[in-house]
Amino acid sequence: MQDGRDMEEEQTVRELSHDEFDPNGTLALIAVYFVILLAMWVFMYFVEFLGNELTVVG
Amino acid sequence: MNIHSYEKIWLVVAILLIVGFISTVTYGATAVGIDMVDDEGGTVNASALDEDPRFSEPRVEQVGDNEYEAYVIAQQYIFNPDPIRVPANSTVTFFITSPDVIHGFEIVGTNANTMVIPGQVAKITVNFNDPGEYGIVCHEYCGSGHHTMEGSVVVQPEDEFEPGGDE
Repeated sequence: MQDGRDMEEEQTVRELSHDEFDPNGTLALIAVYFVILLAMWVFMYFVEFLGNELTVVG
Repeated sequence: MNIHSYEKIWLVVAILLIVGFISTVTYGATAVGIDMVDDEGGTVNASALDEDPRFSEPRVEQVGDNEYEAYVIAQQYIFNPDPIRVPANSTVTFFITSPDVIHGFEIVGTNANTMVIPGQVAKITVNFNDPGEYGIVCHEYCGSGHHTMEGSVVVQPEDEFEPGGDE
C-alpha cells in the first residue's frame, strides 16, 4: 500500500520551460569557484611571481 | 538558438577571464619588464670553451656604471666561477654555457632560472639590490653527481666589491 502511494506522488510532473529552469545552486557554486580562481591567479602572478625578486629583465 | 541567461553570464565571464590572464602577462612583459630566456646569447663551440674569448676565463667584468657581465660555465658537477661575486645595486647579465651535458642554472628561490645547453649561450639579466648571498642549483639531471651540483652568488656591498676579484 505504502509503495503504491509513493509511486503516485512521483508521477506528478511539473513542466518547466527552458527559461524557467534556474539552477541557482549551480550558479552559486560556479561563482564561488570563479572567485577562488581569480584570487589564486592574483596571488600566483602578483605576489608569488612578481614579488619573487631577482627576475629576468633582459 | 536559445541560450539560457545563466549560460550567457558564464560565457561572458569566461571570456573576460581569458582576457584578464592575457592582460596580466602583457602587463608583466611591458610595465614590469619581465623577459623570457631566448637564443639571444648565440652559440659557442662546446668542445673548445678554453679558446673562446668569452668563456676561456669564467669571470665577472664591469661593462658600464653599475652594469656587469658574468661569464659562467656549468659543468659536471660545478659552476665556475664559484662563488660569483657581484656588487649590490647593479645590473648583471649572466652568460652561461656548458662544455658537457645539459645543466640548469637557478638562483634559488627567485625567478632567475634557465637551462644551460652545450653549444648554446644562455643570457639572463638580473638586478641585484641588497647585499646578501644566493645559492645556485643545477635543476636539470646531469649525471650521477647532479644532486651535489651547486654554486653561489655573493652580492657584496658596493664599496667592498672589486671587479675581477674572483680569482
